[in-house]
Amino acid sequence: MKIEGTQELHAPRDRVYSALTNPGILQRCIPGCEALEKIGENLFAAMLKAGVGAIKGTFKGEVRLEDMRPPEHYRIVVEGKGGVGFAKGSADFDLEENDGATLIKYSGELQIGGTIAGVGQRMIQGAAKMMASRFFAALEAEVQRTTAIGEADLV
Amino acid sequence: MAAKYVGKRIKRTEDPRLIKGLAHYVDDVRLPDTLHVAFVRSIYAHARITSIDVTEALKAPGVVAVYTGKDIATTVGPVPCAAALPDLKIPDYRVLATGKALFVGHPIAAVVATDRYLARDAADLISVDYEELPVAVDVEASAKGGPVIHEQFGSNIAYTLTSGEGDIEAALKSADHIVTQRMVHQRLAPVAMEGRGVLARYFPGEEELTLWSSTQIPHLMRTQVALMIGLPENKLRVITPEVGGGFGSKLNVYAEEALLAWISIQLGKPVKWIESRRENMQATIHGRAQVGTVEVGCKNDGTITGLRYNVVADLGAYHQLLTPAIPTLTGLMLSGAYRIPAIQMNVTGVFTNKMSTDAYRGAGRPEATYVVERAMDIVAAELKIDPVEVRRKNFPAKTEFPFHTATGLDYDSGDYEAALDKALNLSGYAKLRAEQAKARAAGKLIGIGMSSYVEICALGPSQAMPAGGWESATVRIEPTGTVTVLTGASPHGQGQETSFAQIAADELGVDLNAVTVIHGDTAIVQYGIGTFGSRATAVGGTAVLIAIQKLKEKAAKIAAHVLRCEASSLAFEGGRYSRPSAAAASAVSEPDVAVGEAPAGALPEPDTEGRSTLTIQEIALIAHIAKELPPDTEPGLSATYFFEPKNFTFPFGTHICVVEIDKETGETKFLRYVAVDDCGKVINPLLVDGQIHGGIVQAIGQALYEEVVYDEQGQLVTGELMDYALPKASQMPWFELDRTETPSPVNPLGVKGVGEAGTIGATPAVVNAIVDALSPYGVKHLDMPARPEAVWKLITG
Repeated sequence: MKIEGTQELHAPRDRVYSALTNPGILQRCIPGCEALEKIGENLFAAMLKAGVGAIKGTFKGEVRLEDMRPPEHYRIVVEGKGGVGFAKGSADFDLEENDGATLIKYSGELQIGGTIAGVGQRMIQGAAKMMASRFFAALEAEVQRTTAIGEADLV
Repeated sequence: MAAKYVGKRIKRTEDPRLIKGLAHYVDDVRLPDTLHVAFVRSIYAHARITSIDVTEALKAPGVVAVYTGKDIATTVGPVPCAAALPDLKIPDYRVLATGKALFVGHPIAAVVATDRYLARDAADLISVDYEELPVAVDVEASAKGGPVIHEQFGSNIAYTLTSGEGDIEAALKSADHIVTQRMVHQRLAPVAMEGRGVLARYFPGEEELTLWSSTQIPHLMRTQVALMIGLPENKLRVITPEVGGGFGSKLNVYAEEALLAWISIQLGKPVKWIESRRENMQATIHGRAQVGTVEVGCKNDGTITGLRYNVVADLGAYHQLLTPAIPTLTGLMLSGAYRIPAIQMNVTGVFTNKMSTDAYRGAGRPEATYVVERAMDIVAAELKIDPVEVRRKNFPAKTEFPFHTATGLDYDSGDYEAALDKALNLSGYAKLRAEQAKARAAGKLIGIGMSSYVEICALGPSQAMPAGGWESATVRIEPTGTVTVLTGASPHGQGQETSFAQIAADELGVDLNAVTVIHGDTAIVQYGIGTFGSRATAVGGTAVLIAIQKLKEKAAKIAAHVLRCEASSLAFEGGRYSRPSAAAASAVSEPDVAVGEAPAGALPEPDTEGRSTLTIQEIALIAHIAKELPPDTEPGLSATYFFEPKNFTFPFGTHICVVEIDKETGETKFLRYVAVDDCGKVINPLLVDGQIHGGIVQAIGQALYEEVVYDEQGQLVTGELMDYALPKASQMPWFELDRTETPSPVNPLGVKGVGEAGTIGATPAVVNAIVDALSPYGVKHLDMPARPEAVWKLITG
């Protein structure tokens, strides 16, 4: 399944890039993310509670950041599984300056399996969209907060 | 015998309890201290299981035990496959995955807890590590190569088989035309309203196990499960309470049934598992799933010279009970309702990383009928002959029965033209064609489709079956005069509690309400085969009839003794034996003995002094009190009969369907649906109509809506009813039903069977109508389901 979209955040590009690669901020912004711990260089152990419709479960897995070219590009690779199935995928993030704001273009592939794959295929795209919009709304709040106090790494 | 009940539209005596919610299904059986089982099932279609960590699950509240493949590898036998085919590859199918998981839904671990929800929660705490393996999903590709599922076999081919008679090469060579068409019979899910369910209770003291299961085959299951868990068969009792539909999906022995039985022995407590709908979609058998190409040779006048069908059958990852045998039924029915001198089927059964396929309503015959009936329309289009005439041209005449086919069968009886003509009249076929021409001129897409099917029922002679093709019945009249019928068939929605009571009540001359039909308990009912293949009435009903006839021989002997005359001189009418002199006199002047109103603690002494007539119920009392029996006569009044049919039966009929297709949306709308079916003699027309209705609905489901979809990774995409499109009542046409009645010579009831006729006959009628509607666009075929999108694409090019 393809996932792609664009999102504008009202903050400078380096600030956004820094937030997007900050595990503490990411954990707060990713809906259902209960833990995101650094276990290596650009490698994190994650625990996520997520679901589609009535199928909810805890997913455990890894998040890896690759191809990092601050402040314009990186790739995120995720892989997790739980009782209701698995999810794995990757997405490229491209950040563009846009008149003081930052335009994020993301594009990736998501593969799911197990019970969640058999439940509301038509809903999964919608669920992913909803998660993305909640993620960016939270991220916007985070970059505004960190911009206001001028400390990107304050987490 | 005057028929007071047989042939009448009698409402099902089963229905009040079902409608009022008073019936008992497996989940309604509540035993104290019951433990509940939840499964961890594979999330991958093909993976090596590298580790299973159950530590957290064992610590979870309420958890009593967790079992994985290593616990059952040497203690529970494999899931059985009863199909016998030459050189068939049979993989070892353990009740929990050992080493590898081969399909999404493959059970890996079982959690036992004090509560269903605690078991489910704990199952989520089990951590399974997988190493993903390449998948075999597409059946045609998997036949040719790619990842091998069972390495020991070297390929994914489970068997190849050629069937049929006649010189097919010569037959095709002699044809003026040869038409060829590839057809896909998509994978379907049976979706019984009640999923599967199992409750097992072991008594350690008695070393006895009772297994409640929602199954179609309680006795066969008893035999198989006893073998799988190593329990003496006479220590295992299988009870089949109310069953909320099966459609073939419960004509099986599943991993969960044996595993629950084994767990109950391990823990000495009752254990229960009730299948969820998601598990039902993943891990209950699917049906159909064939991809084939048909070649038909015909003369210019429409005479068919030969038919060849090359097909790959998608078996799934393992064999369930009859998995590899289903396509062989397709081969048997490729002659359809026609004289075809040479027929050949070449089938390749192929393993894929999916749930097994097996018997689903029709079981191999819908595929054959679809192939033949689509082919007849394609021939008609090629020759520009009316599809009615092509069919008529190739029907055997009613005088040619028994009719031998090039598939090796002998059709019992038939009058195909009569059913066709009745359907043509009922639909007003000529007028329909005229209206269609007018509508087409006005730019409307109207299609008329037909199907003249034959199907094979009343399975079957034991020679043709893996585990016996007979059926059993015990009939007894209790001291108080009530009649008990024990049938080895295991009806689960077909209504035999009513129809068998009709047979018994008429044959014994008693009130319908005096008869109770008991089934589905191996401790009460003599061994039986079960309900599938439209066999219960033709085989099991006949067993009831003959058991009654045996019982009446004895009753007549007792009557003659008490009435002091020769048994052969007795008259039997309205449940009453009369001496010859009394038959003409007013037999009714004698007092009836009250039935079922015996005073507490005492049986009424039968008053036999000076009687000239006796009811059969009075004879039952005499037989139990046993003071006035003829010499050398066993007390009691019961008889058991095992009926072995000499042949299958072959119901037939013609369905005509009229559709209109919306050009803008591609949606198919029904304008008419006419079905003329011949299932031989009819015991209860209401039940027959009900079976036809349900059958047509499931056939329309296949034609228009349903498909089990696995993605290219072998993930089940249609995992619940939100995504698997079952037909809805509002989408169905009004069914205009009629019948012809050609008795079967195979059994004394003259019945043929009707459980699957609708499913078999209707699918091609619907698709033929859609293709007919689209013919102005040059459409010659489209594969099922005919979703609006696919139809719209054909319209818009």
